[in-house]
Amino acid sequence: MTAAALDDIRVLDLSGEIGVYATKLLADLGADVMRIEPPGGDPMRMIGPFFGERASPDRSLYFWNLNTNKRSITLDITKPEGRAVFEKLVRSADVVVETFEPGYMESLGLGYGRLSTIKPDIVMTSVTAFGQDGPHAHYKWCDIVGVAMSGMMTLAGDKEDPPNRPYGNQGYIGAAIQAAAGTLMAIVHRDNSGEGQHVDVSMQEALSINQETAMQTYDMMKAIRTRTGARGALPIDIPGIGVYECTDGQVFAYLGTPGGAPWTAMLDWMTREGMAEDLNDEPYREFIGNLNLSFLTGLVREPEKLPERLKIMAHLYEVFAKFCASKSKWDLYQEGQQQRLMFGIVSTPEDLVKNPQLQHRQWLQKVEHEEIGATVAYAGPPYRLSETPWAIRRRPPLPGEHTIDVLFEAGYSTEQIDELRAKGAV
Amino acid sequence: MSDKQQPLSGLKVADFSWFGAGPICANNLAAFGATVVRVESEAHLDGLRLVGPFPPDKNTFNVSGYFNNYNAGKLGLTLNLNTELGMDMAHRLIAWADVFITNHTPRIIEKWQLGYEQVRALNENVVAVYQPMQGFDGPHKYFMGFGAVLGPITGYSHLSGFPHRAPMGLGTNYPDYVINPGHTLVAILAALRYRRKTGKGQCIELAQIESSVAPLAPAVMDYANNGCVQGRQGNRLTHAAPHGAFRCKDNEWNGQPEERWIALGVFDDAQWRAFVDAIDAPTWATDAALATLDGRKQREDEIEQKIGEWTRDRTAEEAMALLQSKGVPAGVVQNARDMLESDEHLKARGYYVYLDHPEAGHNAYDGPPFRLSKTPGELQGPAPMLGQHNEQICKDILGMSDEQIADAIVAQALY
Repeated sequence: MTAAALDDIRVLDLSGEIGVYATKLLADLGADVMRIEPPGGDPMRMIGPFFGERASPDRSLYFWNLNTNKRSITLDITKPEGRAVFEKLVRSADVVVETFEPGYMESLGLGYGRLSTIKPDIVMTSVTAFGQDGPHAHYKWCDIVGVAMSGMMTLAGDKEDPPNRPYGNQGYIGAAIQAAAGTLMAIVHRDNSGEGQHVDVSMQEALSINQETAMQTYDMMKAIRTRTGARGALPIDIPGIGVYECTDGQVFAYLGTPGGAPWTAMLDWMTREGMAEDLNDEPYREFIGNLNLSFLTGLVREPEKLPERLKIMAHLYEVFAKFCASKSKWDLYQEGQQQRLMFGIVSTPEDLVKNPQLQHRQWLQKVEHEEIGATVAYAGPPYRLSETPWAIRRRPPLPGEHTIDVLFEAGYSTEQIDELRAKGAV
Repeated sequence: MSDKQQPLSGLKVADFSWFGAGPICANNLAAFGATVVRVESEAHLDGLRLVGPFPPDKNTFNVSGYFNNYNAGKLGLTLNLNTELGMDMAHRLIAWADVFITNHTPRIIEKWQLGYEQVRALNENVVAVYQPMQGFDGPHKYFMGFGAVLGPITGYSHLSGFPHRAPMGLGTNYPDYVINPGHTLVAILAALRYRRKTGKGQCIELAQIESSVAPLAPAVMDYANNGCVQGRQGNRLTHAAPHGAFRCKDNEWNGQPEERWIALGVFDDAQWRAFVDAIDAPTWATDAALATLDGRKQREDEIEQKIGEWTRDRTAEEAMALLQSKGVPAGVVQNARDMLESDEHLKARGYYVYLDHPEAGHNAYDGPPFRLSKTPGELQGPAPMLGQHNEQICKDILGMSDEQIADAIVAQALY
């Protein structure tokens, strides 16, 4: 058994969707994360996709992905007996992660102030859409509200459509990544000073930096970046930049950008394949020799030359698009990249699973689920640590699977556990 | 800087990264107290210094808002690693550091001979952090790209947006800003803890492709286990209705009409009742057939059209306040002006930080991405100008004399 970076950290995980990826990150680095499920089980167990496409709480791939390596106890913290158990668990915990509306934990008598009297060096991490204070602190949220209010959604999509929400709860994911980092930052401080603290993560703030240059563009130039669709900032078709149709899907091309091979290398490739048409003749050949990102950004500076240049570019675009349309997305991606031509395959989930690089690195993980007699493929590591590797050591828990173990560890007797059960607290 | 000891006070970071994913990560280390030396070269400038945005009438290497936002509070050193002396100085800086971080390509790492074993020979217990695009092994290890290319490769483009449009992605180099630097920060902090316990450093390899696909796990697992290929669904979700963005009354800004939108989601029947209440219960909305998710899913087109008619007469802010007052999750699709100027909430929390930069002036920076109650983190200063701290670093960190520094300048090692 290899070492784990966080194997001496115990986490009480009360998080909903907005924070649950944070506790997964901690668990996958070795922390003992106890997922506290309400009686009846975690509602996330009913979110698809489902294993075998059968909607059932014991088959949610969504839940499974977010709860690897965790233990589960069912505990009703709204009941006094449940709260007493929670307080007892806090004594041996390092971290509590919660995502309730600000003030809710206080209303149960479990706010940071109270927890820190039970365990002075406890780190409590609260993840919400808008943070613990401020005029919107009590606003209701879901993922799309966070990405909208963070300024990133206004940048995505086509002008003819509503702004686009990024796929896959990116607001929740981003907030949770920052929450995991904030939690560890507080743990580092605790290790140095013996002092715990309250970590406040706002989804809106966590995502702000995803605005790329939009914030600074307004700050410095009083100009507003908005969504520009498939064409990007310049409202013209630029040969070699953007999304191109192939025989079986699309590629994204980003030719003429720093670090990559020049457009002339692209022309050579098209020539070798007999698909360059007249691009080796003038004015095209010379134009291609100059075609790179700084040339493009300079286009507007010479407006008198623009009409002629646009005509040339339209022809280049057409010939280039024809070349792309004659090839498969994998061929364009792999053969292009081998020549340092910056192509990126527009991957479908199928392409990701079949990606030779991810396969070579054995990124997907196989996890046994004996209860349903299946081996399940899981997403792999976001990072690889040489001494303390990321690993799935334990499949996600069944609801309350570890309740008894955890209560024994906390010093409860069989009779006491039966009593808690009778009261519906566990 | 406050007197309070920050979590990373005393931590030494040699930041050999550029563009987004590396510098943003090191930026967060600096905000929590680390001393970060950002290594650059005039011979190969960080592209973000060149692309701006720039303040009016300024366009030097030192004023790009894009660059400056990711490098606040770092010390700036210019080294030409293509000179022997420059590389020697780099080695001494790495020997000084607790954390070495780079996002250069495997080809460059090989050329510079700064792989983990080589770095470890300079500094046995260093935490060495690499962010190659595809990893250091495998058939695609030399493939290159920026976030703009990584987004399509990792599935964000195929999965995001409306099905009738090309897979255009999110309009930014998305994985560069939170996903990759954030994952890296988690790994670094975990490795630092392990180092504290055991004295051992280690290598962190964050292959950007792996880090970026990880958040799309449900779609990947849906195919890997079920053979099901998910596609673009626009702003809809299978388990919510209505769910999307709706056009509100236009603003006028700079004499031009400006589109305004509100995003909202209704996840259960109680939220639907709250929504109906918020829009004053028009006849169409009180239809009993819409009381359940199934019923709403069946008539989602119609519902979206009706909501659009309601939002069209209201400003986005009015619609948000009304819906929120009834408990419906709703938020303005904010732009950068909203973020910096009109969002009272962000202002009250003081998220954006304004710093004075000697050339760029008084500008906004993103504050720390999480708030710690006792050690809140704080940007230690504006971004360094190119080579701003060369002399200071040479003297204080590398222990060089004035004469040695002059030699390094003449040899174009400090360049």
